[in-house]
Amino acid sequence: MISREQRILSGKGRFIDDLELPNMAYCVFIGSPYAHAKIKRIEVNKAQKKAGILAILIGEDLVKRTEPLPALSDFSGRPGWLWRTPRIYPLAVEKVRFHGEPVAAIIAETPSLALEAAEAVEVEYEPLPLVLNAVEAMQEGTPLVYEEWGDNIQLQTVFNFGDVGKAFQEADRILKVSWRENRTSGFPLEARGCLAAYEPMTETLNTWGSYQCPFRAQHYISHVLRLPQTNVRVVASDIGGGFGNKINPWKYTVVCLAAILTGRPVKWQESAREFFLTGPHQRDVRWEGEVAIKNDGRILGIKARFIQDLGVEISNRDYAAPSIVAACSSVPNAYRLQGLRIEAYGIVTNKSFYGAYRGFGKDKGAKFMERIMDLVSKECNLNPAALRLKNFIQPHEFPYKQISGLVYDSGNYPAVMHAALKVAEVDSWRKKQEELREKGQYIGIGMAFVVEPAGIAAPNARFSGLVQARVRITPDGLVEVYSDRTEIGQGAEKTNTLVVSQILGVKAEEIVIKPVTSDVIGMGPISSRGAVYSVSALVRAAKGVKDIVVKYASAFFQDDPKNIRLEDGRIYSLKNPENSLSFRELADRFYFRPGPRGLPKEMQLNHETLLDVSASWYSPISAENPTTSYTTFSSSADLALVEVDSETGVTKIWKYIHVHDAGKIISPEIVDGQIYGGIVQGIGEALSEELIYNERGELSTDSYTDFVIPTAVDAPDIVIRHLETPSPYTELGTKGMGESPIISSKAAIISAIEDALSPFRVRILEAPATRERIRRWIRNSPAR
Amino acid sequence: MVVNNSLPGNRARSNPMKHFVGSRAMPEVNYHRPKELGEALAMIHEFKDNCILIAGGTDLIPALRRGTVSLESRNLVDLRWLKELDYIRRKEDWIQIGAVTRLSDLEDSEIIRKYAPVLSDAAGQIGSLQIRNQGTLGGNLCNASPAADTAPPLLALRARVLLKSLDRQRVVPLDQFFLGPGKTLLMPGEILAEIQVPIPQDEERFCFLKLGRRNAFTLSIVSVATWVKVEQEIIQGIRIALGAVAPTPMRALKSEEYLAGQRVSEKILDQGAKIVSGEVQPLSDVRANAEYRKDMSYILTRRAILFCVTPNKSKEGDENFTSRGEF
Amino acid sequence: MKIPVEVKVNQRFYRLEVKPQETLLEVLKNRLKINSLRRGCEEGECGACTVLLNGKPVCSCLILSPEADGGEVLTLEGLNRDGELHPLLEAFIENYAIQCGYCTPGIIMTAYYLINHLTSFSEQTIRKGLEGNLCRCTGYVNILKAIEAAKKEKDSGRWW
Repeated sequence: MISREQRILSGKGRFIDDLELPNMAYCVFIGSPYAHAKIKRIEVNKAQKKAGILAILIGEDLVKRTEPLPALSDFSGRPGWLWRTPRIYPLAVEKVRFHGEPVAAIIAETPSLALEAAEAVEVEYEPLPLVLNAVEAMQEGTPLVYEEWGDNIQLQTVFNFGDVGKAFQEADRILKVSWRENRTSGFPLEARGCLAAYEPMTETLNTWGSYQCPFRAQHYISHVLRLPQTNVRVVASDIGGGFGNKINPWKYTVVCLAAILTGRPVKWQESAREFFLTGPHQRDVRWEGEVAIKNDGRILGIKARFIQDLGVEISNRDYAAPSIVAACSSVPNAYRLQGLRIEAYGIVTNKSFYGAYRGFGKDKGAKFMERIMDLVSKECNLNPAALRLKNFIQPHEFPYKQISGLVYDSGNYPAVMHAALKVAEVDSWRKKQEELREKGQYIGIGMAFVVEPAGIAAPNARFSGLVQARVRITPDGLVEVYSDRTEIGQGAEKTNTLVVSQILGVKAEEIVIKPVTSDVIGMGPISSRGAVYSVSALVRAAKGVKDIVVKYASAFFQDDPKNIRLEDGRIYSLKNPENSLSFRELADRFYFRPGPRGLPKEMQLNHETLLDVSASWYSPISAENPTTSYTTFSSSADLALVEVDSETGVTKIWKYIHVHDAGKIISPEIVDGQIYGGIVQGIGEALSEELIYNERGELSTDSYTDFVIPTAVDAPDIVIRHLETPSPYTELGTKGMGESPIISSKAAIISAIEDALSPFRVRILEAPATRERIRRWIRNSPAR
Repeated sequence: MVVNNSLPGNRARSNPMKHFVGSRAMPEVNYHRPKELGEALAMIHEFKDNCILIAGGTDLIPALRRGTVSLESRNLVDLRWLKELDYIRRKEDWIQIGAVTRLSDLEDSEIIRKYAPVLSDAAGQIGSLQIRNQGTLGGNLCNASPAADTAPPLLALRARVLLKSLDRQRVVPLDQFFLGPGKTLLMPGEILAEIQVPIPQDEERFCFLKLGRRNAFTLSIVSVATWVKVEQEIIQGIRIALGAVAPTPMRALKSEEYLAGQRVSEKILDQGAKIVSGEVQPLSDVRANAEYRKDMSYILTRRAILFCVTPNKSKEGDENFTSRGEF
Repeated sequence: MKIPVEVKVNQRFYRLEVKPQETLLEVLKNRLKINSLRRGCEEGECGACTVLLNGKPVCSCLILSPEADGGEVLTLEGLNRDGELHPLLEAFIENYAIQCGYCTPGIIMTAYYLINHLTSFSEQTIRKGLEGNLCRCTGYVNILKAIEAAKKEKDSGRWW
């Protein structure tokens, strides 16, 4: 079987754009021009009569036919939590609450006809006052996104870990800290889309498309459309990037409903602009707090207020509510803390909803802590590396129970840090920095150290730790792999192939990674869990098949199972390696000639007559220790050398170094690729990416023209080194990775810019550090 | 290309009262392809205001998709095929550039590189390789975005434009061509046919700088083109043109007036550049705010003039001349 | 309204009747079923739809199909021959330059042009040449490695 890359480069890609069914119709959404308005009247009759229009769905139609979008996380009733779930349908009902919110879906023979019919759709709006800023949204008398709530708080709770009172009592100094990340998200080059078709004979709704998590999607779609889950089948097509932005199939439910109602296959392919307007947004958080420290740089405790701007909600259109939990529990990062107290708020505003984006929530606490490290380093005049080394969890302390309740599996943070320092030439950079300052040139050295939790099993939040994997040898000797690990570009197929190839001794060409569908139970590739849950389950399934093969071969070759080898696609016994079986030969004998009659009696009596094993896996540490929802913790140290032009605010990245410890690595090239990509995304977040709404609540940054991501010219060369501290909890010692690069790079670049601007005494409290902002910070600096 | 555009930076939004429609289809057009210039002029004369001209399409096609350009009549006249408008040639003391010349041809042209390299430099920084292979000089000028990158160098070069209609033609200095964002001097039935650039003399020095939100493939937040003629350390002649800081590409006349005749010194250049920041009238939009644009007008102008007056200064290895380190 | 268009695509000659508002991307993808064409932003900002038109990289989403009349288009399929992947494509696979694969066809067409035409070939000039091709997955590092490796192949004679 050729690899996915070979297939795509041979012109056999199967992205949603490539999928077609006979008699296919198209779904086009119409979105509100207003950020907040009552829908007084919506008139589709004229449009419905136009040529080639099969149906037009509006909110009221959905109220009749569908369930409201389910709350994918529900924290109501949790002690100490204020939690609200809005009642939301896939299309707007009675009110629109963000710019572009879909008010109607046109199902037409062609997208052109849908475009023409859209002109005839009449909607009368009564604009309402809007609120676009979380801090404003918390004030008295502010416009309310959901009137029935009485305020704009969707979530409010306090996280109290350890003993923060004691920490502050023992402190030598208390420092004030503030940090803000502005709104951004992933927006892979391929936007969302799907094709849905209802098959009346089997009463099955089939849907293919850019579904990052087919099993979840099946669950969600069947709930919304009131279908038994067994009658919904979701198949992931080739996906042009996910990053978490395609986890939940909100708008896809309307396409599926349209297929049922019209009896025709219906395809939806989102435009880039639609994705920006109505896609999941992320980041957009503020921290204000205090840090209690000792003079020698030990960080004792942190008190903070955390405000996350959720847009219209964080509960129904995507799986993101636990991101606030992740944000607050990731604050300790790689360090020992005595106490941590965070007042957390999730505030609704008239912007697109909050979703998942690489990092999810784990990123925010870590970035906050790294900003604190820089602050403490400057205030106490301590070397930033030495400061971190002093506060690190030490290698002998693992498994380490963090005050957040998370149990960190393994790690060697000092080794990672020292490796990074070794590759970089910080001393010579510092010397150069001094020289250049005389000439009015400003270079800066930035550092970040990040711990990335992965492999989640959280209760009541659809992150439950479910996974299934199945390995099956076909009668003609190929190895089929069924996994929940959808390929979104992260190398799932390649690494799954390597894992199975190593265990069964077959060549990659003999392994068939089946498209990921809802037939396989599992949460999908989220939160870097692929190398934890999916791979561990796959290992168990592959080993299960191997056991059966070995049992059979042992009887066949009349040798001890210990002497059976699987290598290069052949099975043999050490007694006589020349006499080997290919998998094809083995499968033929096993299944057909002679088949089960020819199996050893023990296998017959144990009903072990199939070369087909399905397995699951659950994190042993989550089982042993209910306070921890993550399984593995990888770590990385980043060092960046930048130059800032003090007159224009332009930042140039001269050097970038990343040292990574993600446990046992299956494929270093795949891991490197994830690191390069994540770092450049983080650089984009640090320097230019921002979703900006104007005063009318319209999203001004609604295309790649104004949502500025790095080009090949903006991306630096990146040096990577690996350390491997295996996880004691996963089958192969692998750890989830892929998110720490986007977390650490944003922190490292901000840190470097701040270091470059230290002659101006600039403290960076906000990202992105755009050219305009940098210039303003310099101009406003007291040192000038 | 004549297009109705709203203000720069706000162009991204459609009419606020209209719905956002997620269709990926292009609106219908009545397409007309004149085979030669005479036929084109006759067509445009007949259609008058009732048509839109297209050459490269790099601005128009996204605008049609978004609905920021109204195409009621749906008449689209394609000038791309007019070979008579696609040329770069030298005629005595002038360079003549056909309006339908691609930006990539402008960038690569031996004539331009030899006689007006600042224009090649600017063209090479517009959009991306793909955009430059499609977009035309005429289109860039007639689209009349205040941020059009070919305008400042052409203004610094004292370019003129040849406008043609069915029954007449006229030559107009480029300084007079732009009337406002998206608005030019072109009358209904008239097209921009040729851009004429007087060939600079040897002792004249030019510089083009632009600043965007990232290091490549970026719209200008501020762009500057300068021409300086220095003899025995006295500024004999100077022109300063800026883009993206006013309703149209503009000349900084007050600054030019101040600097002309002055002896070159850092202090004088700095003061002259500061005057520019008082002359510009930038907007705040999603790309940048007015304060930053004013500030950058000063910074970039100073750097551009400095480049022009410094003998043997080269911009090698640093296209934007905005980063000065070496590692 | 239908316009007759004659265009050569990957060495094959086509005579089509197109609607003028159909972009070249739509004609290649939807009519001629050329699989490698990717629809990205459809406003010339991402480069995913890049093809070579008359030898030069362009965003096919910005070209109205009548403009292709009399022209020649080259897409990724046109690089491969008889089931054999072009050395450039092999270099991409070997250097792990493909993650989700969505930007890849566009990047490959631009890279093909750059390798054949760049007079000065360096990391800087390649990066600049690729400025119009956005990638969200790879961070561009392995793409550069692949292009440099492919250039070596070309220099050693293994190229077409």
